[in-house]
Amino acid sequence: MASRKEGSGAAGGGFGAAKGKGKAAAAGDSAVKQVQIDGLVVLKIIKHYQEEGQGNEVVQGVLLGLVVDDRLEITNCFPFPQHTEDDADFDEVQYQMEMMRSLRHVNIDHLHVGWYQSTYYGSFVTRALLDSQFSYQHAIEESVVLIYDPIKTAQGSLSLKAYRLTPKLMEVCKEKDFSPEALKKANIAYENMFEEVPIVIKNSYLINVMLWELEKKSAVADRHELLSLASSNHLGKSLQLLMDRVDEMSQDIVKYNTYLRNVSKQQQQKHQYQQRRQQENIQRQSRGEPPLPEEDINKLFKPPQPPPRMESLLIAGQINTYCQNIKEFNAQNLGKLFMAQALQDYNN
Amino acid sequence: MSRFFTTGSDSESESSASGDETAPKAPGGPYSKPLLLSEDEEDTKRVVRSARDKRYEELTNLIRSIRNAMKIRDVSRCLEEFELLGRAWTKAKGVVDREGVPRFYLRILADLEDYLNELWEDKEGKKKMNKNNAKALSSLRQKLRKYNRDYEGQIAAYRQNPEQSDEDEEKSRRDSEGSGSSSGAEDEAGNFLKRRERDEPRSRYKESESEPESESDEDWGDSASESDSESDEDDGKFTSLASKFLKKDEERRGAERRREEKAKKKLERKSRREEEEEEEEGGEWEKVKGGVPLIKEKPKMFAKGTEITVGLVMKKLNEILQARGKKGTDRAAQIELLQHLVAVAHEHQLGVPLELKIKFNIVASLYDYNPNLAAYMKAELWQRCLGCIEELLELLFAHPEIFVGENVLEESENLSNPEQPFRVRGCVLTLVERMDEEFTKIMQNTDPHSQEYVEHLKDEARVCGIIARLQRYLQAKGSPEELCRVYLLRVLHTYYKFDYAAARRRAGQVRPGQVRPGQVRPGQVRPEGQEKEDGQEKEEKDAQVKVEEEEKKEEEEEEEEDSEALMERLCRFVYAKDRTDRIRTCAILCHIYHHALHSRWYRARDLMLMSHLQDNIQHADPPVQILYNRTMVQLGICAFRQGLIKDAHNALLDIQSSGRAKELLGQGLLLRSLQERNAEQEKVEKRRQVPFHMHVNLELLECVYLVAAMLLEIPYMAAHEFDARRRMISKQFHHQLRVGERQPLLGPPESMREHVVAASKAMKTGDWRRCHRFVVNEKMNGKVWDLFPEADQVRAMLVRKIQEESLRTYLFTYSSVYDSISMETLAAMFELELPTVHGIISKMIINEELMASLDQPTATVMMHRTEPTATQNLALQLAEKLGNLVENNERVLDQRQGAYGGYFRDQKDGGYRKGDGYLRRGGFRQERGNY
Repeated sequence: MASRKEGSGAAGGGFGAAKGKGKAAAAGDSAVKQVQIDGLVVLKIIKHYQEEGQGNEVVQGVLLGLVVDDRLEITNCFPFPQHTEDDADFDEVQYQMEMMRSLRHVNIDHLHVGWYQSTYYGSFVTRALLDSQFSYQHAIEESVVLIYDPIKTAQGSLSLKAYRLTPKLMEVCKEKDFSPEALKKANIAYENMFEEVPIVIKNSYLINVMLWELEKKSAVADRHELLSLASSNHLGKSLQLLMDRVDEMSQDIVKYNTYLRNVSKQQQQKHQYQQRRQQENIQRQSRGEPPLPEEDINKLFKPPQPPPRMESLLIAGQINTYCQNIKEFNAQNLGKLFMAQALQDYNN
Repeated sequence: MSRFFTTGSDSESESSASGDETAPKAPGGPYSKPLLLSEDEEDTKRVVRSARDKRYEELTNLIRSIRNAMKIRDVSRCLEEFELLGRAWTKAKGVVDREGVPRFYLRILADLEDYLNELWEDKEGKKKMNKNNAKALSSLRQKLRKYNRDYEGQIAAYRQNPEQSDEDEEKSRRDSEGSGSSSGAEDEAGNFLKRRERDEPRSRYKESESEPESESDEDWGDSASESDSESDEDDGKFTSLASKFLKKDEERRGAERRREEKAKKKLERKSRREEEEEEEEGGEWEKVKGGVPLIKEKPKMFAKGTEITVGLVMKKLNEILQARGKKGTDRAAQIELLQHLVAVAHEHQLGVPLELKIKFNIVASLYDYNPNLAAYMKAELWQRCLGCIEELLELLFAHPEIFVGENVLEESENLSNPEQPFRVRGCVLTLVERMDEEFTKIMQNTDPHSQEYVEHLKDEARVCGIIARLQRYLQAKGSPEELCRVYLLRVLHTYYKFDYAAARRRAGQVRPGQVRPGQVRPGQVRPEGQEKEDGQEKEEKDAQVKVEEEEKKEEEEEEEEDSEALMERLCRFVYAKDRTDRIRTCAILCHIYHHALHSRWYRARDLMLMSHLQDNIQHADPPVQILYNRTMVQLGICAFRQGLIKDAHNALLDIQSSGRAKELLGQGLLLRSLQERNAEQEKVEKRRQVPFHMHVNLELLECVYLVAAMLLEIPYMAAHEFDARRRMISKQFHHQLRVGERQPLLGPPESMREHVVAASKAMKTGDWRRCHRFVVNEKMNGKVWDLFPEADQVRAMLVRKIQEESLRTYLFTYSSVYDSISMETLAAMFELELPTVHGIISKMIINEELMASLDQPTATVMMHRTEPTATQNLALQLAEKLGNLVENNERVLDQRQGAYGGYFRDQKDGGYRKGDGYLRRGGFRQERGNY
């Protein structure tokens, strides 16, 4: 519960790298294999962002539902209220409990099954999301985080993704040890930090019927935004964000490099020291004196603090997400351009 | 009751011991003892008498504390006590009605009145008084005045004859006593008391007699102690008056009068001092008194009948001079003495050399008048100083045969012997230099926006005149070194003035057939001068003064050359003859400044470059550095006027980029925390300030800089929009732009900076008309452009530059939109001639700024479209960054390999290098060498 506070306070984020088809296999050993979302939840999330989110500000909320076998059904949700400076003493935990109690009274599923948040051009793989999701999953094993991308949605295709931390990452987070060795031992790479859970959106039959009816009545059915050829803005933004991330990555690597250098330097010094000591001892022995006492070599040479590697993993994950996004986007765009060209040719 | 009495007697003995004169006469006191003695006998009487005594004792006690308060000048306490006294008095009314107003009561009223008047009169003391006291003083004075009105007659009577009233009272008291009781003991006691009274005053009178004398001798000390002693003295007098043995009625009556006089005198003291300074004649000698023993002897310096000879005068002169610099010497009086001596010397025809000698000394002591280096001369002293120097020069001109020099020894001076050449010790040049310094100091210390400043500035002409005359004198007889110094003085007074006459003459030559320059001039110059009264551009400020000066000069010296020629001549001499580096440096800087001021850019620049001053100016002393900064700034402004934007920007960059232009030009101190600068430093810095009439207008300076930066920076920014490694040309300009962007609400521009920022924004989009409107408009004309002597030319140049740079910016910004563009259209858009447009575009193509080619027959520019688009640019940047990332990653890998074992490192590395053909390897290896 406490961690939720953190998560909602921070600027949103999460992890997106692990969504290929290979991931589905990785998801095999986790508790949840499928997420089924009620249409109501989707609409509520979209509405929430529409009303409160703007620009790169992020909105967050709580998902409610139930677990059926290995399927997580999300049947309702409610938003976190927006933070303002004035009500610093606002108790979010209290608010959530109240909210859930009230919902129970009207007979709504009140099992806490995760949380959702919006994203800005796919940038959600952050430390805040990691911590938040970790504590969720720690408390309720089946929790997921839903990432809603309002920009893509605005372009015509609903973008909603469910993520969970892999069991491996859960282990690491439990240990709280992000040193290079620990990560290496846990065999964690950016690809297997998060797993994407397939999503199914389900409506009741009645709703489906109504939708059919509505579709017939609706006059505006042409979704031309899907065919928009103007892409440079979106692409430019993505590139810009990607570049920022690459810069961060570079810095991180430099840091790590310095660390390695320090380690090797110290290693050399240690070695020299030992050699000297050995030689001296040999001399002393030849003179018949007792050898010098052994000293704790680690006390003499304090090993340098290894930089935590989790940040760079997250950045790598984020870069991966960006790349996927750009790839996807460009593939679509190229398709559109070819289509447009074909049309042009045809017309001529 | 008995407690009362004992306290009364106690205080009596105390006060008599301390010499307080009120106590012995306090009626309550004296009778307390007898009463105590006779207590058992006369019960009934005691009651009656005690009513009266009680009241009186109360009054006397109060009076005593009032006196005490008066002595320590505690007016507020006086006020309190006085109020209590008034209350006690009403209580005692019954007694008083029966017996009449007692004398001691009148006395305190009268004394208090005098005392208050005195305090009231003493303006200075009042100022020093704390607030409470001052308030109390005024209220007490008013109250007392009202109160005394009731007793006017009695007080007047008392003043007439204090003794009498005293006697009367005593008599009546005695009478009443007699009638009340016939106790002999009482009488005896009374007599005894009186006897004591008599003895005491006598001795005290002696004191008071000796006091006035000593007082008149002593210098007027601080007013507090003085008034103290005064009041003591007065009190003493009154006690003495009280006793019958005092004979000096006159003095008695004159007491108050004297006191008033003294107060008045005190007020006059200051003004009299000043008067003394101005008093011319020797007849006043006696008036100079106090504190200056040496001068006291002076009046007799030439006894009547003594034949006054050169030797005698010299002796006196030396005598006077010996007192110089000594503590306690009255400097003003010394100057008077010397003046007098000159008069005497002149009167007795003792020869010019002697007069010269004395005059040298007068000027020197005028300079000495202010012991403090930071203080400046007062106006009248300054005028006298100028007068003296002028007289001195006149004498020197009139008698060219006299040799004057600072290296003439005292012994070898020849003041009187006509056979040999006259030799006088003294250096006019030093005096004039010092005068110049004083002038600067006066200007520094005058509020530049006051009429006073203008008045002082008028003296500049006189100063210049003196320097010119000195120059002529020294040209005849001075050594090259001296000439250099006087030339520098002249140059320093010339370089910052714009030579309107020469400019007009030139204009007249260019356009003959115009109205004669002489007639046009005043009309042209004057309005300008008045318009820009606030303009710090010096020549505007003193245009009026200068006109007068010029006219005078022209009359005086027909051959007076242009200031240009003058500067040239003087500076050349200095360059050739000077041996101290400083004078030459100053002369060069002034010369450059003068060139720059008159728009002779190339000559100014060449001189600057040839002198190599830029390399070593940081070793010079601060005033020279300030001059250097002024020169650079002027150079920059000059370049701007000539349309050499880049040069202007470079020249101004150093001064402007620091943000301390004001300080660097010596035109004001920056507000800084006290830690960084103590009072001493501040004084030093203050002394370095350039007088206001020589200031360079800082707003003009900044505007010129910003406009120059705009003209350079905007096209550059447009050309390198996507360049990640783009450098700023001008940080300050960017700062202004950012400030402009940060504004939440953008109104029409108000300040000069806002105008420039707005203009820059317009230029960014290639909108030259708006840009032009922002740079040249009413407000900017008033603030900046009109300050230039040839404002219209500058404005024309500006428009032209704005058009050209806007064209460039337009091409940079929008070339990606065009496939081809007609030059004619461009020419029409920017209102430039076709050849100019052609020229600009050709230049851009040659410099590879614009990827295009010219199509001659159709006069169009064909764009090549080689510039990457925004997305492409981003992609390029990303690629670059990724390259860096890979490189960094390689290092990590390298490190890891190297870390496996130090011994095989070289081998391993070698193998690794062979295996990896990465391009950056070579460079990378070098870097690794540093590890």
